[in-house]
Amino acid sequence: MAAEPRIRKFTRAQIIYHWLYAGSWLVLALTGASFMWRPDPHGVVTGLGVYLQGDVGQILRTVHRVAALFFITAPIVWMLMEPRGFMGEVIELLTIRRLDWKWLAVAPLHYTVGRPPLPPQGKYNTGQKLNEWIVFTGYFGFLISGLIMWFGRGAVSVEAFRWMLLLHSFLFWVGVLMASLHMYLTLVHPFTRQALSIVGNGFVSLRYARAEHPLWVAEQMESGKAQVIDAPAHD
Amino acid sequence: MGKAATWETWKPDPGKSSQHVAMLVDTADCIGCKACEVACKQWNENEARILQEPGTYQSHPNLDAKTWTVIKFTEYKTQDGQTTWLMQKHNCMHCTEAGCVTACPTDALQYGNYGVVTLNQASCIGCGYCEQGCPFDAVHVDKSAFNQRAQKAGKCTLCYDRISGGMQPACVKTCPTDCIKYGDRNQLIAWGKERVKELQARGHANANLYGETQVGGLHELYVLLEKPAVYGLPEAPRVSPRLKLWRYGIQPVGKYLFGAAVVGYVLNWLAARRAFNKNHGHDGEAAD
Repeated sequence: MAAEPRIRKFTRAQIIYHWLYAGSWLVLALTGASFMWRPDPHGVVTGLGVYLQGDVGQILRTVHRVAALFFITAPIVWMLMEPRGFMGEVIELLTIRRLDWKWLAVAPLHYTVGRPPLPPQGKYNTGQKLNEWIVFTGYFGFLISGLIMWFGRGAVSVEAFRWMLLLHSFLFWVGVLMASLHMYLTLVHPFTRQALSIVGNGFVSLRYARAEHPLWVAEQMESGKAQVIDAPAHD
Repeated sequence: MGKAATWETWKPDPGKSSQHVAMLVDTADCIGCKACEVACKQWNENEARILQEPGTYQSHPNLDAKTWTVIKFTEYKTQDGQTTWLMQKHNCMHCTEAGCVTACPTDALQYGNYGVVTLNQASCIGCGYCEQGCPFDAVHVDKSAFNQRAQKAGKCTLCYDRISGGMQPACVKTCPTDCIKYGDRNQLIAWGKERVKELQARGHANANLYGETQVGGLHELYVLLEKPAVYGLPEAPRVSPRLKLWRYGIQPVGKYLFGAAVVGYVLNWLAARRAFNKNHGHDGEAAD
């Protein structure tokens, strides 16, 4: 069987950024969740919270702070490795166009029953843009509230601290919901799980890219920027 | 008014853990000797620390994780122009609705028997949320400890270990003027109200009982000679609405939403998988 042609979607810098960010976020989310796992001696699952108290809890706090350093560093690494690419991608990801709203209106049904067809999308679809908006605002929200909670105790008013605690927890749940959807779509969902290879080697099946991001593929082909590999001789 | 002997023999009913006990500090009788501070440190094995001299008659600038009770000193000029020294034994107020309990993520702080707010240091992770939740600045984490494991919260326990065994709190036991009373909370409130009337009759027009209703009722009551604000006590302390929203709003709502999302993913997967197989793939992709 001929190798299926694949098109590059992520650069090396993007892949490094993705895993630095995703890995640190996951550690932060898991260690942060322990702050919401109150031990209830009468609960079957919540009873496990006992093991997250005391010394273990203190270690988890330290792990949380170490992971926070990686989290803060992740986008900076990408920016330093690829300054122009970084800005271009961020602008592309944060720009909402008219087609995006149309996509958003039909996507929930489309990704459940396979119809109606999706309006054509560029490099990133609206769902990915929504994810990026949450990543973008969450990054600064977690950064500010986290640093104030880490270093600002005593320096800021208790009311300010309480606001930061509230903001940090609110962003946590928004992030958990978005990240769980993100992981479901890339790891489990039959329509979209092919996209997982993008964060592995940067490439995705050209057929998949044409189905999901036709405007981007056409633009890449026309401009001659497309990096296509494993294309069979007759293609 | 009743003397210490009235309270010396009082014990909570061991078979009635719902009974609320309290301490009442009659500030009119406090001489600021700090015997209570020493007794507290001795009983609870909290080491003494060399601190910067505050420059007043006060021994410590504030409570800390190893100093659970402090006599606060205020030099105050009364309305008739006289300078007076006010003493207030400050420690955890054991609130009925406690900000520290609301804030604690590991339930190291809990509502215990007799109305006492208990602190289990073995469960404490030293996050310090309790510090930020307490409206009285009465609980602190030991940030000076080099060993992270020792960075735990510390506060007055109302000598829970002593009173559970039928003894008085250490500070009550040692007070030479018997200005710290210990007993049934309702009886102490009644005694405090009578004492306020007596002080008002003696010319202390601003005398008042503090702690009867604040944050659901404190288990540290005060007969004060001046208005609470003069002592630095909040007139209307409350548990921050932001903390309540954090604990009783965002946390449970987030958990329910996450649970609903997981159910949604399962249902979505079942439907999408069916559509994928029926259409032999998705938009030209081949099914597995």
